[in-house]
Amino acid sequence: MNPLIQIENLVYQPAGWLSETRPILKGIDLKIEVGELVAIIGANGCGKTTLARHLNALHLPTSGEVLINGMNTRNKADHPKIRALTGMVFQQPEDQIVAAIVEEDVAFGPENLCRLPALIRNQVENALEQVSMLSQRQLQPSRLSAGQVQRVALAGVLAMQPELIIFDEATAMLDPAGRRDVLNTMLELNQAGITILFITHDMEEVNLAKRVVLLDQGSVKFDGTPPQLFSNPEMVLACGLELPFNYQLYQTFPGWFQERSDPLDGIERLFELIPKFDATEFKTSHFPKKLSPDHQFEIEIHGLNFSYPAEGKSRKSSLKDVELMVPSGRAHGIVGATGSGKSTLLQHLNGLFLPQTGQVRIGQFDLNAADVDLLALRRYAGMVFQNPENYFFNQYVGDEVAYGIKLRDGRVGLKEKVRDAMEMAGLDFDRYKDRIVTTLSGGEQRKTALAAALALNPKLLILDEPTAGLDPRSRRMVLTKLKELESSGVQLVITSHNMEDIAEIAKNVTVLADGQSVASDSTGGIFADEIRLEQAGLQQPDSVKFANALRQKGWPLSRAAVTFDQILSELERLKSGAGDESI
Amino acid sequence: MNQFDYSSKIAIGQYQQTGSILHRFDPRVKISGFFFLIMALTLSRSLIGILFGLAFAIIGIIIAQIPFRMISRSILLPMPFLLIIAIIQMLIYPDRGGSVLLTIGSFQLSELAVLSAGLLILRFIALILTISLMSATVSSSEMIHGLQQLLKPLNKLGIHTMDFVMIIQIALRFLPLLAITAERIAKAQASKGADWGTKNRSIFKKIKQIIPLIIPLFTISLRRAESLALAMDARAYGYQAERTSMTEYHFRTKDAYFGSVCLIAAALIILL
Repeated sequence: MNPLIQIENLVYQPAGWLSETRPILKGIDLKIEVGELVAIIGANGCGKTTLARHLNALHLPTSGEVLINGMNTRNKADHPKIRALTGMVFQQPEDQIVAAIVEEDVAFGPENLCRLPALIRNQVENALEQVSMLSQRQLQPSRLSAGQVQRVALAGVLAMQPELIIFDEATAMLDPAGRRDVLNTMLELNQAGITILFITHDMEEVNLAKRVVLLDQGSVKFDGTPPQLFSNPEMVLACGLELPFNYQLYQTFPGWFQERSDPLDGIERLFELIPKFDATEFKTSHFPKKLSPDHQFEIEIHGLNFSYPAEGKSRKSSLKDVELMVPSGRAHGIVGATGSGKSTLLQHLNGLFLPQTGQVRIGQFDLNAADVDLLALRRYAGMVFQNPENYFFNQYVGDEVAYGIKLRDGRVGLKEKVRDAMEMAGLDFDRYKDRIVTTLSGGEQRKTALAAALALNPKLLILDEPTAGLDPRSRRMVLTKLKELESSGVQLVITSHNMEDIAEIAKNVTVLADGQSVASDSTGGIFADEIRLEQAGLQQPDSVKFANALRQKGWPLSRAAVTFDQILSELERLKSGAGDESI
Repeated sequence: MNQFDYSSKIAIGQYQQTGSILHRFDPRVKISGFFFLIMALTLSRSLIGILFGLAFAIIGIIIAQIPFRMISRSILLPMPFLLIIAIIQMLIYPDRGGSVLLTIGSFQLSELAVLSAGLLILRFIALILTISLMSATVSSSEMIHGLQQLLKPLNKLGIHTMDFVMIIQIALRFLPLLAITAERIAKAQASKGADWGTKNRSIFKKIKQIIPLIIPLFTISLRRAESLALAMDARAYGYQAERTSMTEYHFRTKDAYFGSVCLIAAALIILL
């Protein structure tokens, strides 16, 4: 029997007018059998998506062969069959919905294959049932959350009854609950016999796969099981990725987990092996100080309501009596599920929205005052939107960064100011100023957006999902940059679906659920309350779970220890107080 | 409060699911029926015919249980333009008989001129009502499937009606996205200190502001169209000239009645 996918020496070089195009795929050999669950990983721009598109005959090889179930993708007559056989779910939920009604969209594929109406209705119903979206079948896609749209997209693929489904970073834009839903459906489908290929930047997701293919600059660097991959941390890091948390733990405390050779058992099993804390041998005096009560606040929001449209029958309130207090000089995180009102709240912070009811003060700006200078406020509070690369409105990096400066100061000293802003965001001026924004890698695009916001020297920087869709190396780069900015005195307000980001950056966190601010506390305090987090559709970062496991064994960790590094340094301090006891 | 809201400003006919008898007719009959009525209202030269068409549309709206508040908005919005056109019509009406109602200097306002301006306004109101009624009772998916089947015979002439219907489908899907994109660009520009959404702006400034919005709107829409095309390709679009459809319609006797009522009404609008 043929393997489901057989790729032989695949080379792909986009045909284009740019003479400088280099091959994106350089000689790939790969075989995938029916029923496999394969993760494809690699840094942004390594060719993962290009490879995936070859499997659906969306791209054709420059040289080499791609055979799907024995059918060569070069044979145009086989394309309908190949496309019915291999379904794709893309990264951006809203970009892949064709029709104006959910069930119409699901029917789109089978209709293209000219199936009979009764059969299509049956398949649409089954597909929607499988992703639990049957009750929303008559709705417009714009009324659904990102996670729901992604499930509709999956249903559209399922209705074609494929044997292979490719998920191209399909969870990158989703909140923890939406991500869990999509992943669970993916595993169920695999158990039902469908071959699954998923592209991901999330190393925890890699652990779900039985086989992982690592791409690096257009070549297959590794092909094997996740444990084999992660037993070679040097290679993983060199390819712009990182180890999942359980491996980091395993490697940092080799003494604790000696009797387990396979860290894949899951972190709960590792936690059981943490040794009990022996108080006589460790110093326990260290605890961080609390915020003094007379601290100044940079942002004060009381009783803020916002509904859209502002009046009329169809009005939906997206913010209800929101309270937000951001102490000066302390990076603040805002977390919540998709649709909880995070973005709406953020847009009040630089005056894009004005309060319908309630008090909003940002720095010295009172948004309730009739004479508030919105222009000055927006220069004071810089904003980096979610997926900023979708909203670049200039072609070149230099122009994008210069936009705000030109409006404010004209052309005088423009070049120096652009240079400063770009260097601040970590972009070399001479190398990047004439690059076209759409040809940059994900990480470079984020930095461009950051530079454009920093160009006006904002005192306050508002970031909406600054790391979504980035590979681990670019994410690390952006986080490091943000920490630098913070220590240079810029006040940060950040939202993220990635709780690790929040743990790294934010000192205090406000939780939004259904447009209400349900909790506000120090980051450690918020993450300590697992139940409340789950109710808000979120989850604890693994590092916090680890800290809890340590506490359960009696280790006197402070609540402020939320990142792995913070936990390690507290453990280090305990150890140094205890003399020669080794951890 | 929200100065960046473009979504609610696009007035594409809003489907109103009230479950009335009008909603339940075969969409093919609804589309052709409304098509004949609209044609008749456009072509008719008779005041009585148009008044009859107006009455017919109002009865339709009552039967369809569509709130008049919604309809009145769609009439009031273009009213200033209509009045201006009507006044121009009166001023330049070629003076061919009829009794003179008013004389100002060398200008004479004839009875016929007033009549024709009145006819113009009535015709537009009747058209707006009929179109609103159609968009409120024919959902976008009914529109697409209905058109698909109505136009099918043209395939035999070598015209790709599938593509045409697909264009309508995508336009329906794209318009709200376009509004959202415009909103996002305006916000991105405003956040970098462009004078969007601040108070005290002159009309001139407002118009000047639109220009830098349009070019990125185009490039971003093109990029989005590209990813949509990819998603369509991935789902095997474009291999067969004719696609099948998940919905089938069955022509019933009551549909025939409704069709004949529309046809007779259209005939009366022209002939009365």
